[in-house]
Formats: sequence, C-alpha cells, structure tokens
Amino acid sequence: MSTIAERPKLRTLVSSRLVPILIIGLFLIVIPVFLPADVQGIMTKFLIYAIFAISYDLIFGYTGLVSLGHAAFFGAGGYVVAVLSLHFGISSFWIGIPLAIIVSALVAVVFGFISLRVSGTYFLLLTFALAQLLYSIAWNIPWLNSEGMQGIANISLPSLGIPGYTWTNAKYYFLVLLVAGICYYLLERITRSPFGHALVGIREGEARMTALGYNTWGFKYRAYVFAAPFAGIAGALFAYHSRFISPSQFGLGTSFYPMVMAIIGGAGSLFGAVVGAALVVFLEYFTSLVTPERWPLILGIIFVISIMYLRSGLGVSLIRFWQKVRHSIGYPQN
Amino acid sequence: MNLILSNLMNGLSYGMILFLIASGMSIVLGMMGITNLAHGALYMVGAYIGWTIFVQLEMNFWLAILVGAIGAGVLGLLIERVFLKHLYKQINEQVLLTYGFVYIITNIVIWIWGGRYRLQFTAPELMGSIKLGDFSFPITRIVITVIGLVVALFLWYLQDKTRIGAIVRAGMDDKEMIQGLGIDLEKVSAAVFFLASCIAGLAGVVGAQLLSTFPGLGSDLLLLMLAVIIVGGIGTIQGSLVGGLLIGLIDTFGKALFPGYAMFTIYFAMVVVLLVKPTGLLGRS
Repeated sequence: MSTIAERPKLRTLVSSRLVPILIIGLFLIVIPVFLPADVQGIMTKFLIYAIFAISYDLIFGYTGLVSLGHAAFFGAGGYVVAVLSLHFGISSFWIGIPLAIIVSALVAVVFGFISLRVSGTYFLLLTFALAQLLYSIAWNIPWLNSEGMQGIANISLPSLGIPGYTWTNAKYYFLVLLVAGICYYLLERITRSPFGHALVGIREGEARMTALGYNTWGFKYRAYVFAAPFAGIAGALFAYHSRFISPSQFGLGTSFYPMVMAIIGGAGSLFGAVVGAALVVFLEYFTSLVTPERWPLILGIIFVISIMYLRSGLGVSLIRFWQKVRHSIGYPQN
Repeated sequence: MNLILSNLMNGLSYGMILFLIASGMSIVLGMMGITNLAHGALYMVGAYIGWTIFVQLEMNFWLAILVGAIGAGVLGLLIERVFLKHLYKQINEQVLLTYGFVYIITNIVIWIWGGRYRLQFTAPELMGSIKLGDFSFPITRIVITVIGLVVALFLWYLQDKTRIGAIVRAGMDDKEMIQGLGIDLEKVSAAVFFLASCIAGLAGVVGAQLLSTFPGLGSDLLLLMLAVIIVGGIGTIQGSLVGGLLIGLIDTFGKALFPGYAMFTIYFAMVVVLLVKPTGLLGRS
C-alpha cells in the first residue's frame, strides 16, 4: 500500500522539470568556484545575456513580434546606472536596479505605443528607428558622455549597503546568478499563465484570437512593456560588469544578440534562449582566444547557420532529449 | 543666397545618392517582400571596388561603375540564390540572415582593404567645376545628380512600362496566379534581386565621390535607407526618389542651420510623415 501511495509523489518529482533545473542550478553554483577569474567573468556575461535573451523571447518567441530595437531597453538600463555613477556618485544596487527597471519600462510604454500601431515589416523598421534615436541621443548629448570620450567610463561595481564588503569576480557572478534566477522564474510564471498562453495564441493566429474576443493589441502592448524591464536589468548588470558603457549598447548589433540567441536555442522557449546565450557567449570567448579579429565573421556565419539549419533550436532539442530519457525509464511522454 | 544655392546643390546630389542606395532595397522589399539588411553592405562593396579601380589602379571612372555594379550584383545574386530564395515570406529569418551577411561582408572587407577610413575621392574625369555667373558647381555633383536621374528614369520605365515590371508587380499581389500563367517567377525574382544589388554597387562607386568609405557603412547606411523608405513609401521608384531627395535636402540644410542636432532632423521628418501618412508620401497602401 505504502509503495502505491509513494509512487505518484516520486513520479511528479521526476516528471516535473525539477531534476534538470536542479542539475543545471547545481552546475551554475558549483562550477564557477573552480574556474579562473576571467572565465568567471565570461560566465557572468553569459548570465547577463541570458536575461536579455529570455526578455526578448517573451515578445519574439512567445508573442511573435519581430523587434529590432530591444537594445533600447538594454541600453536604457545601462545608461541609468552609468549616469547615476557619473553625475550623482550613486552606486547603490538598491537604487540603480529599481531605477533601471522603471526607466526601461517607461521607454517601452512610449515606444510600444508608437511601434505597435503598425505590424510586420513596418514594426521591425520602426523599432529599429526608435532604438537608433536613443543611440544618437546617447552619442550627441554631452551630459550622457564622460569628458572627452563617447560613452561613460569608470562605472564601479554596485554597492550593496553592506559595510566593508569587497567585490570579487566570483561574488559578482553569484549576484548576477541570483538576479538571473529570479528573472527566469518570473518570466516562466508569465509564460505559463493564461496571459502567456494568450500571447502564444496571438503568435499562432491573431485573427482567431480577435474573433475569440481578445483585445490582441492590449496583449501585445503588455507583453512588450513586461519584457522591457528584464532587458533593463540585464543592461544595468552589464554596465556594472564591463565598467564602461558606449552608445553602441543601443545599436543594431546589440538588438540582434538576443534574437540570434533565441533562434539558436529555440524561439518560444525560455530554456532555449538561455542555451543560445551560452553558445554565443562561449563561442565568442573561444574565438577571442584564437582569432579575435575574425569574431564578426564567425558571428555572421552563426547567424546564417542558425537560420538555415537550426531553426527548431538546440535548446528545444535538449528538452526533447530529456523527455526521451524520461520516456525510456518508464514515464509517459507529454 | 550663395549659401542657399550651394546647400541646395549639395542636398540634391546627396539626395540622389540616398535615392540610389534606398531604391534597390525598396524594390526588393516592396516587390518581392524581402527585407534585405545586407543592402548597405553591397553599397560598401561597390565603394571599395571603385576605390581600388580608380585610386589604386588609376583606371577609368566609368569602368569602376561597371565593375562595382556587377561585383555587388553577383554577390547579391549569390545570397539570393543560395539562401534567401528558401526564406520567402519569412521576415524574421530574412532579417537575421541578411544581418549575418552584414557581419560577414564587413569582416571580409576589413580583411581585404583594411579598417581605415577613406575620404571621398574624386575621379580625374570629374575634377573641376562649371561657372554660371557668380556660382560654380563642382562637376562631380552635377554628374552624380544626372546619374541618379538616369537610373530613376530607367527604373521607372522598367517598373511601369515593361512586361517584366508588370510581372513583378503582379507576382507581388498573387504569386500563384502568375506561376499559373506559365511564368517562371524564380527567374524574375533572381533578375530583380540582381538588378537591385547592381544599383547598390553603382551607388557605392558614385557615393564614394561624396561620402567617406569605411567598414561600418554596412550598418550605418541602414538608418538612412530606412528614413528614405519611410518618408517616400515602400516599393515605388517615385517614392524612393522623393524620399531620397527630401532626406538629402533636410539633412544638408539641417547640418547648415542647426549643427550639432543634424541627426535629429531626419527623425523629425520620419515622425512627421509617420503621423500624417504612415505608408509614406508615395507608398502603395
């Protein structure tokens, strides 16, 4: 009797996504301790881009909106903490991150209202133009630049308000890991909610959703605004991490990063976007060891290959592999 | 008065270059539904080929135009035949793929020609200026304007007066019907894409007379092309011409009147057009 009572419990434990999450979580917590400091820095960069990529995946993979301006929010978050440090001498994490969230959300409130008036190619072009507008503002306004250079330098790592606290690469990594975990959890909740399912419905057939009585514009607008603060957080963490911010953080290249990550990993899957981020960041790292000046060439080839051959996404293949493993040890496929 | 006239001339010739750059992208976007972000990179290839031919090899300007146009055209045709033809109607795939080619082409250009800036270089044939009363017009700018007009006329004729133009326009509206009539739309698409890429290369050789040439052009030009397309409207030659000239004039006068804020005059023009007529001044709705 007792075995029968226990089995479903065990089954739900294994069949939930708990096991892979535990494995990956443990990996992310334990492995960096044994890595040299510069590779810890790369791990941090990977997590930051993972946040950026899952943020983009909410509007790209789930809602089906192809935006070429997600750098607007990434840059906004970065410039918030950079300006705080340059003009106000504020480096507090508890002021920087909330402000980055608010500012990037406000940017999305305005930009979403403008760009969602149109769809398809026009949406793509408009989001690109709006991000470029921020780029040229950052480029042209002296207040947004350090003396005698383009961009803001000497951004310090955030202060946590703990007296006598000193940063190491590893400590910053764990802070970013914590933030990334929270962001992932929140976005997971959003995408698994009825709201998230409605977004997928809009991606698959907007006309049908309209016929069912959904206000699709409102859903798209909310998805656009919800996604932005996550990109803002990523941008702020990135500015702390690289100690420097330049207008190119608003640039087209920056907007393409989360897109290629989402596609390589599998658009419409948060886990896939994280896998994509890992792939791109580590490929860049290994390229920089061998032939740094050819990285753009390799990145371009990654774009082409991911479009022509990997469109279902590597992350999605990994998830399917896990489902197969579960199936082979006797759990039903879902 | 002198200032206004010279700015007018500068704005017109600059606008013609913008028209040349944007028209190819607009044709491909409007008639074939392909968003080709690598169009600026094709311009850059044309500009560098032009530089090699009449600065390094000291050969003829018109030969440079021919080789630059064909070089960019062949490159464009390759991208279309090998990759883009599998991605019809898939906007996000096209965007990512063609931006990948911006990276690839830019890096290869740096590999071949190096990363340094090259200032505008006037071909020997186009040196000097024509005096009209008190004013002197540089021959380069006049030639550029004439080339722009000739290309515009040619493209307009092709679009509105020939069978090919009719097929392409009809194919955009109803692909299956056109194929049902026994027309090989693939060949027509390839030809249109080749032509558009040729114009990008030609624009590169011509544009290098006025603008400096550098490896960042491939992505830097995108915003200007976008501005021309938004202001003029997608998919018609007339729209690209009007958009190009307007943006050229606005930018030139903006730089003369409000230096420091010149970047924003283009955005201002885009916003005004988007608010008044979202499809562009001469766009097909």
